[in-house]
Amino acid sequence: MPNEPLQDEFRNLWQDQPSENITMSLEEIRAKAGKFQRRIWRRNALEYGAIAIVVIVFGLYLQWFPAPVMRAGSVMIIAGALYVAYQLHRRAASETTPAAAEFEQCLGFHRRALERQREALANIWSWYLGPFIPGLTIFSAGMAMAAPIPFRHRVLAAAIMLAVIGGVFWLVAQMNLRAARKLQIRIDELKSLEQ
Amino acid sequence: MGEAAQDAQYHQAAAEYGAALERLARAYEFDRERRRDLLQEIHLALWRSFALFDGRCSPRTWVYRVAHNAAVSYAVGRRRSGDRNLVSLEEVALTLGDSDGDAAAGRRQALARLTELVQRLKPLDRQVIVSYLEGMDAGSIGEITGLSASNVATKIHRIKTVLARRFSERDPHAE
Repeated sequence: MPNEPLQDEFRNLWQDQPSENITMSLEEIRAKAGKFQRRIWRRNALEYGAIAIVVIVFGLYLQWFPAPVMRAGSVMIIAGALYVAYQLHRRAASETTPAAAEFEQCLGFHRRALERQREALANIWSWYLGPFIPGLTIFSAGMAMAAPIPFRHRVLAAAIMLAVIGGVFWLVAQMNLRAARKLQIRIDELKSLEQ
Repeated sequence: MGEAAQDAQYHQAAAEYGAALERLARAYEFDRERRRDLLQEIHLALWRSFALFDGRCSPRTWVYRVAHNAAVSYAVGRRRSGDRNLVSLEEVALTLGDSDGDAAAGRRQALARLTELVQRLKPLDRQVIVSYLEGMDAGSIGEITGLSASNVATKIHRIKTVLARRFSERDPHAE
């Protein structure tokens, strides 16, 4: 059986270890907190800024292009962008970090956050790429139809545009699926830490 | 709670538990520079947390919970590959030899070995052993970790066994 005096020695050993006396002033803490807030703000600005640009550009197209098919496509793209913005907002507004939660809650919080990220990445077609597809398809078809070229060439132009868009979307989806698989490894690691 | 009260509570906690928080950071991070980063994260989390402190637990329990959670969050964010090799107290007890011949070679070496042992443990066991080494009783450890009293008692018994076997029955910091 372990003897008690020895246990006290371990406690003394641990508690008497030299301290580096690292402290933070309130100014330093506030500066660090501000840096964190600015990082969140920049991320949001980037995400919502890109959506705002899509809405503005296709809003202008509504004015510029008289062809009904292109106008319909523009409206659908704007609707898709707004839906994506809503999804980004919904997915970002999750649980708040549990400052003083018990261990299981804390680890569970991180695991759930990673699982949500993984779901978002794995289902990128349904909430991020998919909403743009109908609008982009209609808009591309409208552009090709409006071009002053023979019908056969219009069909070819529309097919090329859609193939390029499809290729880009496929690449984006593959990158997200790869990221989702990496997240799964981290989730499994976290699960292994839960006892 | 006003910002002035939040600042005052943080100041008091930092003054009272500053050294303990350094030791806690040492339990999670070996590298000195990263440990400094982690400690800053802990202080930031602590300052933030006092805006929410409602006095339902003791300030000490609050400080340790926040600090451990900040350390776990930091580790999750950094995703260290070494984390895959973390073990539980039970596994450590099973795999250790009965004694290490050079364990008592010196205080510094004993501390290094003790720290290494703590860092190898899974987070929950690490919380328990750090709290134990900080001199807390089973009730306080249960409050911090959320474990039941019997669970804490079992883990403390294992900790004592592991420490005794790891460092043999000799003085852990004999020169």
